[in-house]
Amino acid sequence: MNGAYPTYAAKRLAQAAVVILLAYVFTFVVVSILPGDPITSVLRNPQNGFTEEEIAQIVAAQGLDRPVLVQLWSSLSGFLTGDLGLSMRSSRPVTTMIAEVLPSTLILATSALFLAVVLAVVIAYGTQVVPKRYGQGLLRAFPSLFLSVPNFVIGLVLIHLFGFQLGLFRVINPDSAWATFFAAITLAIPISAQIAEVLIASLDHEAGQDYIAVARGRGLPPFRLFTRHLLKPSSLPVVTVIALTIGELLGGSLITETVFGRTGIGSLVQRSVSTQDLPVLQAVVSLAAVVFVLSNLIADLVYPLLDPRVKLLGARTPRTSAPKPAGATAP
Amino acid sequence: MTLLSTAAAARLAPPRRRPALPPLPVAAALVFVALVIAWSLAPGLFTGHDPVAGVPADKLLGPSLAHWFGTDHLGRDVFARVVFGSASSVTSALIAVVIGVLAGGLIGLVAGFLGGWVDTVLARFVDVLLAIPKFLLAVIVVTAIGFDTINAAIATGVSAVAVFARVMRSEVIKTREATFVEASFLSGGSRWHILARHVLPNASRSVLPLAVLHFGDSILVIASLAFLGYGDPPPASDWGLLISIGKDYPKWPWLVYAPALVTIATVLSVNRISRWLRTTD
Amino acid sequence: MAPHDRLTAAFPHSLAGEHPAPLLQVEALDVSYGATRVVTDVGFSLGRGRSLALIGESGSGKSTIARTVLRLLPGSAHVQGRVSFDGEDILGLSERRFRPLRGRAIGFVPQDPGNALNPVRTIGSQAMEAAALTDARDPRIARERILETFAEVGLDNPRRVFDSYPHQLSGGMLQRVLIGLAVLPRPLLLVADEPTSALDVTIQKHILDLLSRLREDLDISLLLITHDLAIAAERADSIVVLKDGSVQEAGPTATVFAAPSSPYARKLHADVPALNPDRYAALRDLGLRRLADPGQTPKISVRKLTKTFEVDGKVLTAVNNVSFSVSPGTTHALVGESGSGKTTTIRLLLGLEQPDSGEISVAGETLTGRTRRSMQAAWRHLQLVYQNPFTSLDPTWTVERLVREPLDRFRIGTPKERAEWVRAALVDVGLGAHLVTRKPQALSGGQRQRVAIARSLVLRPDVIVLDEPTSALDVSVQADIVAVLLELQAKLGLTYVFVSHDLALVRQLAHTVSVMRHGRIVEHGTVCDIFETPRDPYTAALLHSIPSSTVAPARTRSPRPAPQAVVGTAVIGQEQIA
Repeated sequence: MNGAYPTYAAKRLAQAAVVILLAYVFTFVVVSILPGDPITSVLRNPQNGFTEEEIAQIVAAQGLDRPVLVQLWSSLSGFLTGDLGLSMRSSRPVTTMIAEVLPSTLILATSALFLAVVLAVVIAYGTQVVPKRYGQGLLRAFPSLFLSVPNFVIGLVLIHLFGFQLGLFRVINPDSAWATFFAAITLAIPISAQIAEVLIASLDHEAGQDYIAVARGRGLPPFRLFTRHLLKPSSLPVVTVIALTIGELLGGSLITETVFGRTGIGSLVQRSVSTQDLPVLQAVVSLAAVVFVLSNLIADLVYPLLDPRVKLLGARTPRTSAPKPAGATAP
Repeated sequence: MTLLSTAAAARLAPPRRRPALPPLPVAAALVFVALVIAWSLAPGLFTGHDPVAGVPADKLLGPSLAHWFGTDHLGRDVFARVVFGSASSVTSALIAVVIGVLAGGLIGLVAGFLGGWVDTVLARFVDVLLAIPKFLLAVIVVTAIGFDTINAAIATGVSAVAVFARVMRSEVIKTREATFVEASFLSGGSRWHILARHVLPNASRSVLPLAVLHFGDSILVIASLAFLGYGDPPPASDWGLLISIGKDYPKWPWLVYAPALVTIATVLSVNRISRWLRTTD
Repeated sequence: MAPHDRLTAAFPHSLAGEHPAPLLQVEALDVSYGATRVVTDVGFSLGRGRSLALIGESGSGKSTIARTVLRLLPGSAHVQGRVSFDGEDILGLSERRFRPLRGRAIGFVPQDPGNALNPVRTIGSQAMEAAALTDARDPRIARERILETFAEVGLDNPRRVFDSYPHQLSGGMLQRVLIGLAVLPRPLLLVADEPTSALDVTIQKHILDLLSRLREDLDISLLLITHDLAIAAERADSIVVLKDGSVQEAGPTATVFAAPSSPYARKLHADVPALNPDRYAALRDLGLRRLADPGQTPKISVRKLTKTFEVDGKVLTAVNNVSFSVSPGTTHALVGESGSGKTTTIRLLLGLEQPDSGEISVAGETLTGRTRRSMQAAWRHLQLVYQNPFTSLDPTWTVERLVREPLDRFRIGTPKERAEWVRAALVDVGLGAHLVTRKPQALSGGQRQRVAIARSLVLRPDVIVLDEPTSALDVSVQADIVAVLLELQAKLGLTYVFVSHDLALVRQLAHTVSVMRHGRIVEHGTVCDIFETPRDPYTAALLHSIPSSTVAPARTRSPRPAPQAVVGTAVIGQEQIA
């Protein structure tokens, strides 16, 4: 395994780089080419109220008069060197704009992820510990319920209950820790449901395996059976799921920040959508793709170190029709 | 004792026959979904109130027998608005699912069945779609093609393509390597015969519950887009839009809770049906 | 509450014998899941240091009984009756009071060793749990004791095993580990649930020998769960025969085995290949006569076949210089354990893989070097029946469509003729016309395999390759399928290539044999020669692993129905009802 790991890691790393580049190109196509000519559709849009001079300035600054492929090339090479271009609206560097709002979103997203994992773990382990007649069914119903409630409804209900009724935080321009807490809860609930679903399925699957019965037959009490035998193998898939949901934290921040009136990446996107500030949208989507790809890369790199069963060679390559190697069953 | 509960029971207990009738919660879910579909097909049968023109004297009334969900700031009956809004919410979710299933299914089918470089190229494309958060993808697509409810539905469908493609691909690969496919090959079956008669029917079996699940998911995504104002403008009464308008009247909470509860109940019902389809197959 | 009269009737010996109080006594046991009853009124007793086998086919409730004794049933199971262990009713004990008995007093050896150890923890760390049940509190002493036990159960390198993860060991080694862990706390009773059914035949024998030895050395009682009557007879003092959850017959092995009184036990006895080598002699004779005919040219000829695979960067020779030939109308068996190359050999024979070198000809036509397209022409005369009928039939198709598929694909006959031929093929394999609209899901394992055989038969091929066609099926179903196959051979003059790991079965039905190991043929010849005078030590070891009961099977008294009668009526009728 030690010999195979560097090869595996290098392969995954290259794959991740390719996906990030392609995601950038894809976003460019969707954002810049799909709406047609941005000069007529965005800049001359009377809603945006640009004067002809301003339009000429913006066209020059963004290089919108050049062929699309040239634009893509300069945009892509800017992206690779960390330059995300200028905002169409304010002509400020996009990098600065993102840097201003990023901390707020990071705080929201990390606390939401933490809360989501805690909530998922409580629900999922609860289904294994709480007996049927004391509400195990209720616990099992939680993830499905969580996934059925629109994100913004959760936010509105929380604001209504804790903001208006209990007065825990100011509803206009909330900035207290409570406001952040409830915003994080709003963001965490659908994500916790996804993690809990996977964890519950994994726990149920592992609990039905023979080795659990054999360990029970060895006289292990339920709690030790749970901690020593069930916990680790059933928790491994969570590594992958958490990585998959990290992207959704960014998507979800769009709603949560709007509902709670917070500044952050989400509200930046919201603003840029209404003014059709294409460079900002392009940058945020690329950033989200980078975060997603990197977190999945980390999960894929960590997983083989956690699970002794994973064989790196052939794990991702398609299976040939070769039979099992001979001698594998030699006594 | 609960440690060995469900899974072990499923293995040790003798296989149960598929029940002729769905269990009670599923039956309730089916009835509710049927009701919502009926609302969207013939809203006029379910309410006598006008969803657009209000009675200003009756504005912001609480729920009562005359107005089940109360009235809004223009004196319009909220129940009527929910019922008349369901057509657009249901249709757009349906459009989204159809786009996801057809485009994703085709990509997955081609990638899984042909393999080789075609698979590599399509797999990278799906990776790219997956790398962009679903909701963000829907937002930029709807930004690119313009704000209205049908476009929001298309955007939602595009954001679901990757999921369907991935599931279809893995199902196709699983089926392609199944023994019965080789048996058909030995019986003289051509590639097309195997693809159309063996691989597609078997691979589709797990796509159906996923499609149903995504119907519920699409309702949520489209409601979110409408909530942000990326759907049709008022006086349209998409559920997400109703909630969005209602949030500006925090003193009259039924304006949020009534459409929200209908949305939640619909999605919950759809999810329950999907889970039932998955277990009975 | 327990009907004692029933037990005394079944076990005069154990109750009146030298152990007045049995170690384990089960009385009037009923187990049900909801409305489905899986065990009905089962009773037996097991004395100290004795062994008892619960024997039955799938669905007989034998594993449920074992898990009842261990109290490992899921919560949805409803249990009634009495299970007393060492004088105490263990069903009445609270979980807390019962737990100290687990492992310490009652050890458990599971069916599938590959799945019986936690995959993400080392074997050592799990062994320490077993050691914690003994009085060895000091971890070093515990470790010492584990290593001793590992050596005792025949593991070569105990230290390496201790540090390994389960997936790094073979099935046989894992089963040794599990037996070692079970006997480490020196329990009074060992419950072994099909301890060898997931293992190769030669390893099977080693494991059973180990269990027998430990039982004698440590004076442990053994409750053996098995589907194999021959193993039960060889290893147990008394036998309980189960069917559909109730006891068909019970008593000392000598009695049950030599003079089974219940019809089911008699049928079971008659269906075990190891105990009835000459069951199909009459049907097989035809092929033997064809074999003796010197003027025959071989139907199948395989010469110097070699195939290598690259697995994880290493070159693996799956088939190494294999040659054999088969006379028309006879059965040639390829015998070997897992990894011997027998499956690859038949895949080469069918053209599903291309050999690196060598030549294959069937009915005088060379098959090697053909394109897949031109292979299809050959498949009209050369068909395959897969090992597992649960995966070889498309679950979305009906029986009729499945059997008709080859006719449709090769465009043979008019639609009317096709329907006719499908019906004829189904009659040939003994399936009723009412099954044609069913999907595989609604069929039993035996019925599914009959559908698979009908599908391969409908083209009227000359050669059918059978890849362990009965290994996924119960022994009584296996006997039915074998009867069908031999009758078809007699009627249609088919040539079979029969792949199997079961030598006893091969002895019943084949005419010639090739014994394979590590991709090579180590010995070949007629069944008679190989079984009477094996020359290769590996063949001898394989033959030695066929369970031969210490109790002499009373062949003269065992009612053996004439093979023809079995094929014609009784057996086929029984499957149809199912």
